[in-house]
Amino acid sequence: MHSPDPAAASSFTPRPEQTFFPDPSVDRAMGVIMALATEVYVMRDRQFALERMLAARGIVDVAQLDAEPSAADAAAMAADREAFVAHLMSSVLGMQASKGVTA
Amino acid sequence: MNATAPNLHSPAAAISARSFAAGQSFITAVKVYWHVELFPALRAEYEHRAAAAAVKPESVDDVGRLLQDSTLHQYFGWFERHMQRFKYAGRYGLVAWHRQQRAELLARLDKAAAVELHPELEMPRYYVGCDIHQHPGGVWSDDVAGFVYERAASTTTPLAGSKHADLHDRFTDVIERACAKPKRVLDMGCGFGKSTRPIAERFSDARIDAVDLSAPCLQVAALDARNVRYRQMDAAATDYPDAHFDLVTSTMLLHEMPPPVIEKTLAEAARVLKPGGKMIHLDFYHFADPFQRFIHYTHGRRNNEPFMEPLAEMDLAGTLEHVGFKNVRIEPFEETDGALASDFQSWRFPWTVITAERA
Repeated sequence: MHSPDPAAASSFTPRPEQTFFPDPSVDRAMGVIMALATEVYVMRDRQFALERMLAARGIVDVAQLDAEPSAADAAAMAADREAFVAHLMSSVLGMQASKGVTA
Repeated sequence: MNATAPNLHSPAAAISARSFAAGQSFITAVKVYWHVELFPALRAEYEHRAAAAAVKPESVDDVGRLLQDSTLHQYFGWFERHMQRFKYAGRYGLVAWHRQQRAELLARLDKAAAVELHPELEMPRYYVGCDIHQHPGGVWSDDVAGFVYERAASTTTPLAGSKHADLHDRFTDVIERACAKPKRVLDMGCGFGKSTRPIAERFSDARIDAVDLSAPCLQVAALDARNVRYRQMDAAATDYPDAHFDLVTSTMLLHEMPPPVIEKTLAEAARVLKPGGKMIHLDFYHFADPFQRFIHYTHGRRNNEPFMEPLAEMDLAGTLEHVGFKNVRIEPFEETDGALASDFQSWRFPWTVITAERA
């Protein structure tokens, strides 16, 4: 531990980055993740508000919205879900789509 | 084409009040989780490691070494540092939101007449050298900074409620026990008035003076001035006559100043107090164990409050006696029921009341 020299305000570095993980790229990736998490929550909050307003006007049936999907709905979502998962996970394999330059 | 460099701090696209509130509520909820879940887990891990250590950890450095390779401690530090950054900066941060409301907020300030400003007052180097609390631009440089700080303070201790009512009422009880009927009171480093108002309410017949360096904070304080005169002044060098006040207080001020300025401020308090007058500060000084001290020092660094550690390392009792005080008492402060009990698990500040009498 060290104490900053109080007499020397100039010893303050302008906006220094503080890192906590052995690999600083984890620190920065965490920032990206938490920014996304904030955005997801803001969207959840807005969706909640929208559903409440639509339900109040009789446009949305919240009970139906909250129930498990019908077989037909589930089937309709299956292809979309598989495409989403394939896109999400394909990066893990490291496979590239285009011919080109090696590093 | 404008050839100037891109401005990374340009106003973000406007966001709605609901989105701002949702973003802030998420950030606060993450901070609450950090207080009530991550911190107790970290303490448990520390105690486990300490029990297994060959030598019992006694210093802050010992604690740091024990936790050096702790993954949990890395996340603990990251969340402490960066959720505070998100609170202030970025799309859902307090600064962007208040800048978006600038015109309306400044129109409110026009009505705050009960404040004496001194634009010629030079801000001390320690004050401008570091943006405390990670508030970009600090609590003083932007004309809406007082509103930003006021909103920020409502979630500083999310477990204690938005107004800190419990904390301030309890501190005012302590003040009243030490000094029942002051006629003249000085509140040093009053900020936007959160610490001053409960004192002004309790001592409604008293004449209260409150000083701070930050004009934007004083202007917010003056929106609800009551029996308080708000003045822009350095607490370390006021213009009050000698032996003028019965009571001098501060709340969370000392830890924002380097030790030479702390000593100067305490000497100034001694100068303006009547003989037998009381000085009472609420700050961070008493530590139950080296772990709490380590947690506090690292908090200071992560929250851009570099003088928390130097204050905690000062010989405060010796300094107070040196500048003219007697009957010095330094006692832990219970900011909420059970906070000092051994089974209190959540993160908390090392709240301490420092009381002394002008010799």
